[in-house]
Amino acid sequence: MGQVAQQVLRATGLRKAFGALQAVDEVSLTIAPGETYGLLGPNGAGKTTSISMIAGLLKPDAGTIEVDGRTMTPTATAAKAAVGLVPQDLAIYPDLSARENLRFFGRLYGLPKAELTRRLDEVLSVIGLTDRADDRAGEFSGGMKRRLNIGVGMLHGPKLLILDEPTVGVDPQSRNAILDSVEELATEGLAVLYTTHYMEEAERLCDRIAIVDQGRIVAEGTRRELIATIGEQDVVRLTVAGDAAAAAAACERLPAISSADAEDDVVVCLVDGAAAALPQLLAEVAASGASVSGVEVREPDLEDVFLHLTGKALRD
Amino acid sequence: MGSAALTILGKDLRLRLRDRSVWIFALAVPLGLTVLFSLIFPDTEDLQITGAVVDLDGGAVAAGFADGVIPALVDEGLLERIVVADAEAARSQVTDGDLDVAWILPVGFSDAIGAGEQVELEVLVAAGRSLEGEVARGIAEAYAAEVGRIGLAVTIEAAMTGGLDPGLIGGLGELAASQPRLASLADEVSDVGDPLDFTSYLAAGMAAFFVFFTVQFGVTGLLEERKLGTMPRLLAAPIRPAAIQAGKLLGALLLGLASMVVLAVASAVLLGADWGPPLGTAILIVALVIAALGVMALVGSFARTAEQAGNLQSIVAVVLGLVGGVFFPLPGDAGVLRIATLISPHGWFLRGLDAQASAGDWTLALGPAAAIVAFGIVTAIPAVVLQRRRQAW
Ligand SMILES: Nc1ncnc2c1ncn2[C@@H]1O[C@H](COP(=O)(O)OP(=O)(O)OP(=O)(O)O)[C@@H](O)[C@H]1O
Ligand SMILES: [Mg+2]
Repeated sequence: MGQVAQQVLRATGLRKAFGALQAVDEVSLTIAPGETYGLLGPNGAGKTTSISMIAGLLKPDAGTIEVDGRTMTPTATAAKAAVGLVPQDLAIYPDLSARENLRFFGRLYGLPKAELTRRLDEVLSVIGLTDRADDRAGEFSGGMKRRLNIGVGMLHGPKLLILDEPTVGVDPQSRNAILDSVEELATEGLAVLYTTHYMEEAERLCDRIAIVDQGRIVAEGTRRELIATIGEQDVVRLTVAGDAAAAAAACERLPAISSADAEDDVVVCLVDGAAAALPQLLAEVAASGASVSGVEVREPDLEDVFLHLTGKALRD
Repeated sequence: MGSAALTILGKDLRLRLRDRSVWIFALAVPLGLTVLFSLIFPDTEDLQITGAVVDLDGGAVAAGFADGVIPALVDEGLLERIVVADAEAARSQVTDGDLDVAWILPVGFSDAIGAGEQVELEVLVAAGRSLEGEVARGIAEAYAAEVGRIGLAVTIEAAMTGGLDPGLIGGLGELAASQPRLASLADEVSDVGDPLDFTSYLAAGMAAFFVFFTVQFGVTGLLEERKLGTMPRLLAAPIRPAAIQAGKLLGALLLGLASMVVLAVASAVLLGADWGPPLGTAILIVALVIAALGVMALVGSFARTAEQAGNLQSIVAVVLGLVGGVFFPLPGDAGVLRIATLISPHGWFLRGLDAQASAGDWTLALGPAAAIVAFGIVTAIPAVVLQRRRQAW
């Protein structure tokens, strides 16, 4: 019982279809206070749809959602008050200033006046917009708009902060600032649900990561656990000229190779003991009619996990 | 409504008032067009009819018209009475356009009335003087109706007493001419085409026309939030989803009312317009803004995007405005157009102002206001049903 109550978010068996398309298929996840949970998946994987259901924007076809112990539905105001949402698309009014944007949404969340004023200044400083607080948001740079977008989501002090690809289109500096503030919030005890298709972000921020593809969670765990699903293997990337798919198929026949996938002109292989297997590997590729122009051996990362699980690249 | 709706209302008004196009379309353009149109089109305020009466009858009832009604019109400044020799002279002067109109009371007019028989008071109208003709015909009809009523009473009395009292018939014309109802009827008829003065009519018409655009945001606001990307955030907030629409409708209502009131006052101060008794005007304005919201909501609910909605709504607003006669008073003899004004809230609005202004009685605004509100309700109901069906849950 104590365990159950501890979770800020419990989503179980979420399903959502748009016509014939099963956008979300049996997604379940829990997030504890202070934990950052990542949904990592390519375009169209169903991340935003999952989040929309969790935030109460969309009614699931099946499944249950509890936030802070309360059932989430599109009309559950108490549950919604515990959630801060940072939508994937900018959700700010360009004709209002940064401060006015924050104040408007703060009022919608019912913040008392004094607290609102205090939080306004706090958040403006966190998102680094104190100097520009009274300028029209429409005049901001892309990164500043993104930061304001995030600021609105965390203004009312939610227990669960949901960020849907908050760094898309942001310069490296702003991105770092954003990631820093998310980390900061998590250390303060916030539960964070973070979607991205940037592996590095997921690796850096998230305590646990779910790899999502075609509406399903295909693997879940810490970064270490996910990489361990590949085993103690090396990643060998062969740049080839010729039929990469045929080369990959040839490689996969070798006993030391657990998987080989073609990605444009690159064949990515998971190999037990790369040093020993490499000569055979090169021979197989040559036998398939392709020629090798580059070889790279490295430790596997989440990209490789994704490729291994789904047979395709995280980013297209 | 809850505080969420008020918060959204406050935000919307702030955004609206910051939008220069709102000021332009809600205030500057209507006033500007009023000035422009009043310069282009002649002012019919000082409608004056040049007319003659030919009394071929010489009886008491005819005299009631020639010596009772007509001098009253002259006194009111509506009629300049020209004396003509006979019916032929009247006819040729009307043909030449020297006279706008002529009334010809035929031989036996008084007797026929006294006997309760059918008889015609002939009205001649010069070509191109349809407005004057309408007024002249209205006056004749009003008199005929009045004496007809009295005549019927006399006939009944004759039937009961078995004879006609000549004295009674003699007094008939006098009686009819002195009827207060006839006087007011003539008054009303004399205002056809010029109910309010032309500038007031135009100012009110323009205000009515543009308020349909001013309230647009209240009904397409959800589509706009969707376009801005702010809709997910509003839906994620701990408020009832209905509060979003409620706040917007309320905002549009306020902005619509404010723009109309400002236009009424500004047109009065700047252009000397007068929309009639303020209470009736206020009632009509409230009714019209409600109708505007209903109509625009219905039209908007057929659209998928804010742009689409805007286009459809513009078409409907322009058609209803045109049909309702906001750009120019519709000629009184154009029967189809007259009916057309009845199917337009703009038309009812102008009629309502007209009626209450002519009579100086605000209660005359109530009927048209009810008709306008009915428009709003009839259109709002399907709009709400469609909107409900559209919603994601
Ligand atoms: N309202 C909708 N109507 C129809 N199909 C939809 C709708 N919303 C999403 N989809 C479809 O559902 C699938 C999942 O979309 P979703 O937006 O959840 O993906 P995502 O993982 O967030 O992708 P991205 O990384 O591109 O944001 C996609 O195929 C998308 O086309
Ligand atoms: Mg998405």
